[in-house]
Amino acid sequence: MIESKPKKGRIIFHIDMNSFFASVEQAHDPSLKGKPVAVAGNPKERKGIVVTCSYEARAHGVYTTMPVWEARRKCPELIVIPPDHNRYRDASDAMFSLLRTYTELVEPVSIDEGYLDVSDVEWPGNAVGLSEEMQRRILTELDLPCSIGIAPNKFLAKTASDMKKPMGITILRKRDVPSVLWPLPVIEMHGIGKSTEEKLQSLKIRTIGDLAAAPEGFLKENLGKRGLHLKRRANGIDSRPVDPESVHERKSVGGSVTLPVDETDPAELKKTLRKLSEKVALRLDRRELAGDLVTIQIRDADWVNHSRSRTLTNAIHTADAICREAELLFDRHYGGQPVRLLGVTIGRVIDRSETTEQLSIFNYEKHAKEEPVLKMIGELESKFGKGTVTKGFSGPKSGGRQG
Amino acid sequence: MKFEIARDRLLDGLNDVMKAVSSKAAIPILTGIKLDVDEEGLHLTGSDSDITIQTFIPAEENGEQLIRTSQRGSIVLQAKYFNEIVRKLPTNDIEIEVSGHLQTHIRSGKSEFHLIGSDAEDYPQLPEIDDDRHFAIPADLLKSIIRETVFAVSASESRPILTGVHWQVQEDELVCVATDSHRLARRKTRLENAPEDDYSVVIPGKSLQELNKILGDSNDPVGITMSNKQVLFRAGHVLFYSRLLEGNYPDTSRLIPSEYKTDIHVNGKTLLQSIDRASLLAREERNNVVRFSADGSNTVEISSNSPEIGKVEEQVETASVEGEELKISFSAKYMMDALRAIEGQDIVIRFTGAMRPFILKSAEDDTLLQLILPVRTY
Repeated sequence: MIESKPKKGRIIFHIDMNSFFASVEQAHDPSLKGKPVAVAGNPKERKGIVVTCSYEARAHGVYTTMPVWEARRKCPELIVIPPDHNRYRDASDAMFSLLRTYTELVEPVSIDEGYLDVSDVEWPGNAVGLSEEMQRRILTELDLPCSIGIAPNKFLAKTASDMKKPMGITILRKRDVPSVLWPLPVIEMHGIGKSTEEKLQSLKIRTIGDLAAAPEGFLKENLGKRGLHLKRRANGIDSRPVDPESVHERKSVGGSVTLPVDETDPAELKKTLRKLSEKVALRLDRRELAGDLVTIQIRDADWVNHSRSRTLTNAIHTADAICREAELLFDRHYGGQPVRLLGVTIGRVIDRSETTEQLSIFNYEKHAKEEPVLKMIGELESKFGKGTVTKGFSGPKSGGRQG
Repeated sequence: MKFEIARDRLLDGLNDVMKAVSSKAAIPILTGIKLDVDEEGLHLTGSDSDITIQTFIPAEENGEQLIRTSQRGSIVLQAKYFNEIVRKLPTNDIEIEVSGHLQTHIRSGKSEFHLIGSDAEDYPQLPEIDDDRHFAIPADLLKSIIRETVFAVSASESRPILTGVHWQVQEDELVCVATDSHRLARRKTRLENAPEDDYSVVIPGKSLQELNKILGDSNDPVGITMSNKQVLFRAGHVLFYSRLLEGNYPDTSRLIPSEYKTDIHVNGKTLLQSIDRASLLAREERNNVVRFSADGSNTVEISSNSPEIGKVEEQVETASVEGEELKISFSAKYMMDALRAIEGQDIVIRFTGAMRPFILKSAEDDTLLQLILPVRTY
């Protein structure tokens, strides 16, 4: 490791699994390899959307968040699979355990990506060799492709892993920043979304280079503290450490959107709540989380923020459930004023495997149908130990998969 | 208006009507209490527009004069101040006089208050209820009917109808059902002098809780009259009106299983204490889950596991376990609520499956049934 290690500098890897859910499905059922595969939110939900799709499906124009009906139109031979989160969690656990054999400094960001600080790893070669070894082992031992970014900090490592997919290894040094990053439009930068992009555009900041060169005072005035952070990132500076514990600190998952006009039409506002709920559901899905505290945020045209929340009996994670609760809060508290920004957040999140569901008189029959299977699993577990049997979707014999 | 009254009697009356007065009244005049006095006695009225309570203090009772009216009249006084003033007046003799238009003088001993009242004409009329169709239940029985059901109403407004208790009168029987959709309480009461018509109304849980506080533990009859929008309870000199909830109450009869797979006879108090202990570790967890397992022997196991705190296991002796083996999880709170509502030592718990509602009742008595939906663990 010594030869490539700059003095006092750190070496950070960002591992990004390539179309993770779809790849796990292809690893589980090799007959799916080379075929367009989409993992889509509960197909029973009317508004099922594509959560992940294979590169073969992407070649047909299918992308994440696309409604299933649209994806099927773009790609009639698309194989749509309902998500099996136990399977993804197992694959994710296996992937992170493999990475932890090199260093304890592994910070999972979500189910399918994470940072490693490999500065102090004892390895008889350079960092590229180490990353090749990790990538090879993940592919041969777990049958999963990934891309790895190598850089002196998290921001550049994440940027690098995004540059070559699938199965890429990209090194991004600080000295590469002016030639590689600066010519790109700001939207290409991690941490900049659509609304920030618009704001920057209005300030005549179009490229990452513009942002890197923008005066600090000007940025602070228009974007607050965050403007300074963004400028530092644009210059390739990021001092956040790799923190293995950060994954346990997540308390909420949310999303908000600034509306194009100060909106007063409740129907439009509800449409926005629906979209936000889908976004939040997708984020919860990616991290395998659910939560029982729903909050909506309403910022009115005068920049006054109102937030209202409710604690539920059961933790939720589906777009329908989130949307229902968000609308309930909205109906009870919206006073008709023009709205500039709407937000939806699910708080008190926990791992989905730890959730319990208090059944109700309106839904127990649905659960009761599963009793015989659950009883069988219980009996097997008491014989062979917990975790030996999981409920899931079995191999190609299940007919519902063709589509 | 001018009259004299004994302070203790006025306080008793105020205690009752104050239960209907809310500081967050929908209309300002409802923050007040209405006084109507004539030669017969004093009527006090308090209301929050959902509940209206009127009590009557007679001028004379058992030959004792309670009120001396020198001039009849009506006034509305701020409940908060009037109640506190009466509570703190120095002697038991109070004189209340309205002079001018709304200037109210409250005198007792050497103390005199001037309170500005409101015009009684502005106070809402009592709900009109056709009084010729009613039935009666002894006060103590009515109190237990309320106690055994009202705790199960929903605290959430997401289904407003479930915040009430469904009262149905049919075939000489009153059936009261409350559910928050996760558990249900059902109380059947045979009526003497049942009305000829069938009734089906939903009474807000909050109203019944307030009524319960006003009723005494005697077996004096409480007259009950129902209309489409209001129910009236008449207990002695107190009239208690409540708004009814509008909407269809869900059909809950299909929930109660017709056959059972596991029957357990157990001492209710022992089980309650065991669940209470098991829930100590689960209290912080969502849904407060405890596990219950019956393996065919005469003991059942209660357990709970909170990964970050610890776990507990306890064996509970039963009188008998019949039927299939069973593992089920449920909310400790719902279980304890149900066990507390069922009086008597010997109770029966009947299960139909780990994902289906189960019921609890007294072994000797079928009138009260508690039903709980289990918790599914993943």
